[in-house]
Amino acid sequence: MADLFVWLISFFLLIALLVLITFQLMCLADLEFDYINPYDSSTRINRVVMPEFITQAVLCFFYLVTRHWIMALFCVPYLLFNIRLYRRRMHLIDVTEIFNLLSWEKKQRLIKLFYLVFILFLSVFWYRQFERLNCLSILWISL
Amino acid sequence: MGTENPGRPTFPSRPASSPFGAAQPVTPFSSTGPVAGSEPPPYRPTPPAPPQAATPFSSAGPAAARPGAPGFRPAPPGRFSDPSIPPPPRASNAPPPGGPYQQFPAAPFPPTTQQQQRAPMMGQASQAPPFPASLPAQPQMPFVPMGSPPSQSAAPAHLGPNAPPPTFQPTFPGYPSKQAGAEMQAPPMHSNFPANQGNYGPAPPAAASPFLSHQGGYVPSPPMAPPVGMQQPGSVPPMGSVQGLAEDFNALTMQTRPGTMDPLFDPKELPRPLEGDVESKNLADMYPMNCSPRYVRLTTSAVPSSQSLASRWHLPLGAVVCPLAEPPGGEEVPIVNFAPASVVRCRRCRTYVNPYMTFTEAGRKFRCNVCTLLNDVPSEYYAQLDATGKRVDINQRPELTKGTVEFVAPAEYMVRPPMPPVYFFLIDVSISAVRSGMIEVVANTIKSCLDELPGFPRTQIGFATFDSTIHFYNMKSSLTQPQMLVVSDLDDIFIPLPDDLLVNLSESRSVVETFLDSLSTMFQDNVNLESAFGPALKSAFMVMSQLGGKLLIFQNSLPSLGVGRLKLRGDDSRVYGTDKEHGLRLPEDPFYKQMAAEFSKYQISTNVYAFSDKYTDIASLGTLAKYTAGQVYYYPAFQSAIHGEKLRHELRRDLTRETAWEAVMRIRCAKGVRFTTYHGNFMLRSTDLLALPAVDCDKAFAMQLSLEETLLTTQTMYFQVALLYTASCGERRIRVHTMAVPVVTELADIYRLADTGAIVSLLSRLAIEKTLSQKLEDARTAVQLRIVKGLREYRNLYAVQHRLANRMIYPESLKFLMLYGLALCRSTALRGGYGDVPLDERCAAGHIIMTVTIKRLLKLLYPSLIRLDEYLLKASVPADDLKSVERRLPLTGESLDSRGLYIYDDGFRCIIWFGRVISPDIAKNLLGADFAAELSKTTLGEQDNEMSRRLMRVLEKLRNTDRAYYQLSHLVRQGEQPKEGFLLLANLVEDQMGGNSGYAEWMLQISRQVQQS
Repeated sequence: MADLFVWLISFFLLIALLVLITFQLMCLADLEFDYINPYDSSTRINRVVMPEFITQAVLCFFYLVTRHWIMALFCVPYLLFNIRLYRRRMHLIDVTEIFNLLSWEKKQRLIKLFYLVFILFLSVFWYRQFERLNCLSILWISL
Repeated sequence: MGTENPGRPTFPSRPASSPFGAAQPVTPFSSTGPVAGSEPPPYRPTPPAPPQAATPFSSAGPAAARPGAPGFRPAPPGRFSDPSIPPPPRASNAPPPGGPYQQFPAAPFPPTTQQQQRAPMMGQASQAPPFPASLPAQPQMPFVPMGSPPSQSAAPAHLGPNAPPPTFQPTFPGYPSKQAGAEMQAPPMHSNFPANQGNYGPAPPAAASPFLSHQGGYVPSPPMAPPVGMQQPGSVPPMGSVQGLAEDFNALTMQTRPGTMDPLFDPKELPRPLEGDVESKNLADMYPMNCSPRYVRLTTSAVPSSQSLASRWHLPLGAVVCPLAEPPGGEEVPIVNFAPASVVRCRRCRTYVNPYMTFTEAGRKFRCNVCTLLNDVPSEYYAQLDATGKRVDINQRPELTKGTVEFVAPAEYMVRPPMPPVYFFLIDVSISAVRSGMIEVVANTIKSCLDELPGFPRTQIGFATFDSTIHFYNMKSSLTQPQMLVVSDLDDIFIPLPDDLLVNLSESRSVVETFLDSLSTMFQDNVNLESAFGPALKSAFMVMSQLGGKLLIFQNSLPSLGVGRLKLRGDDSRVYGTDKEHGLRLPEDPFYKQMAAEFSKYQISTNVYAFSDKYTDIASLGTLAKYTAGQVYYYPAFQSAIHGEKLRHELRRDLTRETAWEAVMRIRCAKGVRFTTYHGNFMLRSTDLLALPAVDCDKAFAMQLSLEETLLTTQTMYFQVALLYTASCGERRIRVHTMAVPVVTELADIYRLADTGAIVSLLSRLAIEKTLSQKLEDARTAVQLRIVKGLREYRNLYAVQHRLANRMIYPESLKFLMLYGLALCRSTALRGGYGDVPLDERCAAGHIIMTVTIKRLLKLLYPSLIRLDEYLLKASVPADDLKSVERRLPLTGESLDSRGLYIYDDGFRCIIWFGRVISPDIAKNLLGADFAAELSKTTLGEQDNEMSRRLMRVLEKLRNTDRAYYQLSHLVRQGEQPKEGFLLLANLVEDQMGGNSGYAEWMLQISRQVQQS
């Protein structure tokens, strides 16, 4: 039962991350097509950047605590990338340079998005099956 | 000596007395004129060649060997365009009598030898690539094996310009103007080809290599070719290869100096832009309705037709736009008012009506030149077409005949009522500001400009001063004395009396004057050291955010209190050369970027005047100007006695020049091409909209374009720059510049139509931007690499066909590119490392490069060096005749004669250099009685004698050529170290200095890299 909760929590964290990233990408796309001005776009994006980073860190930490080593391992590169951005003070969108950095910001978030989808995929299918196998084997042993 | 420079083919054909002939022997460095007789240059054995037609073989040698002189300075004719003027004493690089060049008399080989040596080397006549611009010498034609008919037909056209020494601009052979005009009229490129090709019809070898085929395609320059062949009749191989000659590249041959094995270039033969910036005219001739190159210049006046072609053009592809440049020749930009109708634009692509739009269906419809959509002509704008298909009212419609017009914008182009001109001054009154005397100069200058501020009677003005507190001034018109309000709470700033701080100048004129009179005395005893710059900036923003306008900041110390506090940095030499180096050139505190973004949003433009003798962090302060279309003025260690005049002029210019308010600019182009990156001082409001809170004639913006479609099918590409702004008079206007350029399919065409000035401007801006994210060294390498790649590609065009070993080839249009590249790497902004330039000066120089117009940039990179003593001494030359002081010398230590007086002018300052053994007379007359004293303490003032008056006249003339900046004169005596070193010697870009390569060496480096492909 605890396992199910663990899985559910990690699943919702992942979904939350996906939503945050998608929102940022939407803002960037809107900006590119001139639907909103750079000031609004950057404030909107900057508002969710820290939540995204924190959620991701929590997720990684959560996998560690629950001893899902492989999943934790998959989260580490993402976390390190975020920490690097943060330490260089590059995590927030710079409204003055937003158009010059637009392609980079988009690319970065797209990669994040795909990476998250990949992790989600792992957690939903492969990982579940693996765990189920594990459970089965435990069951089998206990029997 | 090895220029193959196609040498103006014309040269030989001239009579010996022609300016060129006479010019050559003359020594350049003595302005006295033809001294040449005294010293026959060794490498020019045969004096002015007799017309080649007569004795082709004998004269060919010298002609070819010698072309250096005239060829290299294409300038001469341009300068002395008045034929009546005595032989231009320029003789490019001929050794001066007794001048430093004498060291080189060795012109390595006696001419004969050389000729022989060269012939084999070049193998083919190819060598003598047509010097494109040159005026084809018709007489030679008959000798040309292939004697092309077209060239003959072109002859008359050429001869025209030939007679008076032509101006040199039309560097591109085929294209230019005159011929082009004669042979074909309109979008010529293509139409030209057939003729030429026919001409070359029997060009069998061409078919062989791909490159050749290009040439075939691009030959629009054929008229030039034949003369070239002529140059070397001796070595002309069989006809087939002669064809190759149809190329218009320039070349330099490396030679070996006796005694060493290292190849090198003869410094005398290197091309130098002694004419300054030359705007290419060829586009104007092809498309006479284009806007003047003053407003828009493309890096190459041709758009590559495919992405693959564009990717082979390694130099920047883009434009440099100066939307408000002063119109050429005192013309006025026509103002068109469509009221009550709206501005006529294409319905789909929003292009403004322009001369390239075509009217059809009896005038009821017009076809957009950019997107080819057929639009309805608004009924108010309808006019019938005449028999030729032109509108009958075309002569009353400047927008249909001129490339540059202004439309009066109706209400739909406004989001709020047009703002009045607003000037807000934020002045530092801490102790250092008081001591430097800055406040007094500023107050007096503002006061003297009150009458000339644009926009009377709507102009608004306001002041605030700050040290550790912020002082506002209530200048309500009902008061007699301004009322000072002090805000000392820096954490929670509020604006007292928000309505009376910014007042209408005409209503409160007397209060403002009283304030300015008392400003300097008010703070003369101030001993406050602190500077609450950040809070003051915020409060200024609060005052101005209602209207927008121009904020002028006078800052004399490092911001030390409140938000935006900065700390000393940049004194750590260890950071240089590491990955953190660029951080020094970036704003330290994000506060400045945020403020800049807010300023831009509320239409506030910021000009920063910095005066400190210590570090003031221009990198951070400059950010304010960078994103608000402002400007940075930096006066290191300002002292009113010395720098006062400079500040006075520049502030006056800033306040009184015509300014466009709350502007936005966009450049449109047809489908298939897109502007991708923008470089300059502005903020992007959307992907292609530049927000310019205030813009004026001294600002230029650069942009790069890229091809979106793999293949462009159109023949002509149109660009339209539109600047929507509020004029000072309160009218909302749209200034539109339209430009048509040909789409070309051959790389050679792109090179031929390249514009060095625009390329250098874009390259510099890219390099400066690179210093913000990388090391200086990397930025310099990138510049060099870009040039090398460009030249390598060009070389590949010809290498298949010609043997080019030991030669460096480059297009005529880019002959100065290498030198400007070198000058850029050695400019204040990019030079050396930690010890070479103080950080603040480097940043300020970077800001200047990012804003200035092309002309000014080129002057800054390759300043003029002029010898003055002869003009000053010679009473016979009338004082008004300043022609003799127009002759610029190469920027090398060898140009300096210790008996002379030289002036070095880079557009921002003048350096007057006194030779060591200059006659005491001159020094005494110019400097007054204390001429022997140390020059740093002496200032140059007019003395009561003719010589001094003449010098003043020269200075005045130099200052009047471009008034955006004021050239303060610095005096320096030869051997006065270290002042001479950093003022002048470090700026002689052709000399080797410290770790920097000299011109010849730089060319060698480039040439080596080009050849290692």
